[in-house]
Amino acid sequence: MSAYLAVVAGELPHIALGSLVTLAVVALALGLGFCLGVPLALAEVYGGRTARCLVAVYVWFFRGLPILVLLYLFHFGLFVALDLNIPALPSGALILGLTSAAYQSQIFRASVEALPAGQLKAARALGFSDMQGLRHIILPQALRLSIPGWSNEYSILIKDSALVYVLGVPELMARAHFVASRTTWHFTYYVLAGVLYFIITALGLKLLRRLEKKARLPGYAGGAGYVA
Amino acid sequence: MLKRCLVLIPAFLFLLSSSALAAQNVYINGIDANYPPHAYVGASGKAEGFDVEALDWIAQKMGFQVQHVPMDWDAIIISLLSKKIDMVCSGMSITPERKAVVNFGEPYFSVRKVLLVHGNKPLTKDQLLKGSRKLGVQRGTNEASWLEANHGQNGWNYVLTYYDSAPMAIEDLLNGRLDGVALDSAPANAAIRKGRKNVTIVGEFAEADEFGVAFRVEDTELRRLVNEGFRLLKKDPFWRKLQDKYDTHI
Repeated sequence: MSAYLAVVAGELPHIALGSLVTLAVVALALGLGFCLGVPLALAEVYGGRTARCLVAVYVWFFRGLPILVLLYLFHFGLFVALDLNIPALPSGALILGLTSAAYQSQIFRASVEALPAGQLKAARALGFSDMQGLRHIILPQALRLSIPGWSNEYSILIKDSALVYVLGVPELMARAHFVASRTTWHFTYYVLAGVLYFIITALGLKLLRRLEKKARLPGYAGGAGYVA
Repeated sequence: MLKRCLVLIPAFLFLLSSSALAAQNVYINGIDANYPPHAYVGASGKAEGFDVEALDWIAQKMGFQVQHVPMDWDAIIISLLSKKIDMVCSGMSITPERKAVVNFGEPYFSVRKVLLVHGNKPLTKDQLLKGSRKLGVQRGTNEASWLEANHGQNGWNYVLTYYDSAPMAIEDLLNGRLDGVALDSAPANAAIRKGRKNVTIVGEFAEADEFGVAFRVEDTELRRLVNEGFRLLKKDPFWRKLQDKYDTHI
């Protein structure tokens, strides 16, 4: 048994390094998804007809196609056609990020729409411009409301990130497969990969849970009716 | 808040473009890292294997640099064509379908295709191919295409199940979900040597395959270098040493 554990421990660094690759992909994708998702959500709620239409098409496209298809389509198709020589990791993160933006936009939209419509009007009455109203009144509340839904997106993206190996990114799952193929111990190393995924997901969710509690405003959205 | 986010987008794009300016003088060899003993990732995390070492030797002799990058076998040809990699030296069989889109170097290795069965359920080759037996194979391989094309001939009515890698198919043979696995001889021997003692080779199928290095059609100079390299390697004692080390004698 201890000999078995020693062998597994010997392979651990290589696989664990893969979890850093996974984390890098997920962090970039989540960040990009956030930066695009918020404006998309605002455009969908407050934008004119054209803006709403464009957002709808974007969300329809990225939610409608499997991530694997999107990865092939962009990395081997569009990026090559545009002569963009993007390396595999940023390319994978970019495509996952664009997809995540579609999902995140709907999380933020739901939160914005959950706020009373009168708030922005009240802000205008107090002399806020619409941008100021969004920035100081709407988003601070909406983003707080979005944290639980966003946690879902985080944990889903962690697992979806295993798909980027089709581009050649040596992430956690691909590395577990490499080691399994060499040693023929598939079960052992897939369980090990599972444990690592579990740790990454659990740690991230714990941090987000803490953020959710810390950012809570008593008496306001996200604070009202909240029972810890 | 919003503004700060918008600043991040150019930063992200910058990151993309700057990392694209990587060194150009190194040729990238795409390998199937789930294909021991021809190509795999060693305990150190570095690429190893018969084909990897052979190409390293050639690169050194012919004066170029090579970097081995594990790729998904499903995406290996499209990666080559879209210039993500420069060649595939990783036990790739020369087939007419592949020849239509890539340029192969001279054949450097012959490989037999074998059928594996479980030791507890010893079937003959004939029993395995007839009687609606479940046969595992790695998808995207020449073995898979051959078995698809010849299904129905000689009364063969095996049911194919596709796997990400040959070792994974062997795993499922041992799990009892398959009656047999079809794969190249060297990976079969490697698995048996690695402790898969309970599987047996019951016979061969199809004709021997020839491995060739795949290049883009226009990369004739690289093809010439590698062809010349293999010619030198095959005259060198190192070629035999490699075959001993990875047990790839046929």
